[in-house]
Amino acid sequence: MAANYWASSQRLHWQMSRAKLAETRRALDAMDEKVFQDFPLPHYRLLSIYFNQQLIRLGRRMQTRQQALATAQLYVRRFYTKVAIRDTNPYLVLATCLYLALKIEECPQHIRIVVNEARTCWPEYMPADTAKLAECEFWLISEMNSFLIVHHPYRTLRELKITLKLTDSEEETASQVINDSCVTDLPLLYPPHVIAVTAIFLTVVLKPSSSMGAFGSSVSNLRVSSAAAAAAAAAAANTMNAQERLQHVVNWFANSKVDMEAIIDCTQEIISLYEVWESYSATGEKSCREMLGRLVKQRGL
Amino acid sequence: MPPYRSKVRVLEKYHIIGFISSGTYGRVYKARSRTPGNMQEFAIKKFKPDKEGEVVQYTGISQSACREMALCSELSHPNVIALHEIILEDKCIYMVFSYAEHDLLQIIHHHSSSPTRPPIPAATIKSILWQLLNGVAYLHQNWVLHRDLKPANIMVTRSGELKIGDLGLARLFYKPLQSLYTGDKVVVTIWYRAPELLLGSKHYTAAIDLWAVGCIFAELLALRPIFKGEEAKMEKKSTVPFQRNQMQKIIEILGTPRKEDWPELTSMPEYSQLPMLKTCPDMLETWWMSVTDGPAAAGGRSFQGFSGSGGTAAGGGLQNTKAGLELLKGLLTYDPMKRWTAQRALESPFFKEGTRVSLHAFDSHENQYPNRRVTQDDNDLSLPGTKRSGLPDDSFAGRAPPVKRVKEN
Repeated sequence: MAANYWASSQRLHWQMSRAKLAETRRALDAMDEKVFQDFPLPHYRLLSIYFNQQLIRLGRRMQTRQQALATAQLYVRRFYTKVAIRDTNPYLVLATCLYLALKIEECPQHIRIVVNEARTCWPEYMPADTAKLAECEFWLISEMNSFLIVHHPYRTLRELKITLKLTDSEEETASQVINDSCVTDLPLLYPPHVIAVTAIFLTVVLKPSSSMGAFGSSVSNLRVSSAAAAAAAAAAANTMNAQERLQHVVNWFANSKVDMEAIIDCTQEIISLYEVWESYSATGEKSCREMLGRLVKQRGL
Repeated sequence: MPPYRSKVRVLEKYHIIGFISSGTYGRVYKARSRTPGNMQEFAIKKFKPDKEGEVVQYTGISQSACREMALCSELSHPNVIALHEIILEDKCIYMVFSYAEHDLLQIIHHHSSSPTRPPIPAATIKSILWQLLNGVAYLHQNWVLHRDLKPANIMVTRSGELKIGDLGLARLFYKPLQSLYTGDKVVVTIWYRAPELLLGSKHYTAAIDLWAVGCIFAELLALRPIFKGEEAKMEKKSTVPFQRNQMQKIIEILGTPRKEDWPELTSMPEYSQLPMLKTCPDMLETWWMSVTDGPAAAGGRSFQGFSGSGGTAAGGGLQNTKAGLELLKGLLTYDPMKRWTAQRALESPFFKEGTRVSLHAFDSHENQYPNRRVTQDDNDLSLPGTKRSGLPDDSFAGRAPPVKRVKEN
């Protein structure tokens, strides 16, 4: 159902366990042994960061809203659970996912504009013919079984902002964490509200100094467990006011029926993303670009 | 990349029985499953592929097809048409729906074109309206605006279950990234278009669907559209003309809108146009009597050509239902803020008094309606974009279809 996550296609058809996801990816890699050997690719985590960067680059050129970007990212992730990356031109797939996401999020751009902008971003790899992108759209929709409506954690965050009396800057940080969650497998593994609560947990309880890069370094040293979380909670509260509010949030966590195990798992995932992200830097980007470039060129994708 | 190939082939899975209708989107076929023993019937909607010269090209899927695919895949309700699957094959999109034998346009036409113009039985009207409101309430609870409710888009199965169809103009309205108006300048077929839309409102709500439901209710009673205006054509792509004639038709029955009843009226973009229209008093009650009791009750003459069929009053059995009139008034309220919601309408005494509302529209009488016309001469799925024969879905004799959509960007 369009407004109800519990009856949504996302929950009923596009949520899977970690084990299932790992097995799916293994099976895709094993489909063509030779291609797998001949075209080494960076670890999926690194590729995710690269894809994210590229999508943001393309999105910026069209003033894309974050929500549409998040939808596009989930499309990319869904598609690559069905199709081997090595059988595709990832740049064309990224552009197609964004083109479709813009329509589904009701801020459409003409196919010609998307192709032109993508050509500016990736002149060597993006086909100029709009028919190529349109054909890829068929493939994309077909592999997603036409389930196109996506539920994002932003909505839960907006709702909990009031309940938990979050400040504007906390909301901002939490929504950055949600943006970052799109670079992980979490949207395939957990319901959006669990990711939203994780983002709030990270923001309020673990208190990073700021978002993204800086955020990464400030939390990446923390190893989170439920015991550590409580300790961190106590340690993070300095002022009286902050302490009260923190208590409010901690109480809410204690009394709500949120699945703490899931929150811990999500927290771990995001923290390890930040660790990988820190080591990614310019060299990671370069090697992703080179390996994908070689793949697209030599396989004639 | 390798060329796209569908894993499923429409013709391997379905046997095409014949052609049903066509519209701006493409064509609809009646089909049956090829699975032995499965006698289920389907309506397969094939979206028109774009052509460049004679060659069919991939051109990007229209916003309308995207919406319909996305929304129909999520929705599940007894009063919303059920989608079975979507097949993307040979540059075409096929949406496979459950088959419904009738639609409201055809049912209304069946009555209006009979020599005696027999009314639709009251119990049938009640059931249809209740099921329609139930489906609309479900859509609205799920933040879906239909934006094109009209008799042709409302299906009824052989057993009398109502199914809201054609979600090609429908969209989610929860926190839109841009205003609804920015996406589509013109929504809803003109005769069913709410006054706030006619007056140029940029921010509209679910209330526009309830106005359309009110118009459909009236049409079931009168067997003709209650506000049958003439559409002013768009001259330039960028500017939407004021639909003067349509607004006048509404005013002739509901009276001139007043800012006491509708505080936002004066801030409507087209408000300045209103004084140019003929001023009228509210005549809805007279209209109601003329269609439910026959002309005699309405002062011996039909009201602006609206009448039941004399002795056998239209909507037979609705004469004494004050609640019916109240419901119609609630749905055709000028101020969208005060207009009844689907939920409110479902709670109307209209559905509580008299005979119990049935979930099957034809319980009170044998289903007398002819089957949907299916033509055999044009059931070749493989000929995309050829001119079709047979009736377009909206054009029964004497009912020129008003233009529905403006091409989307």
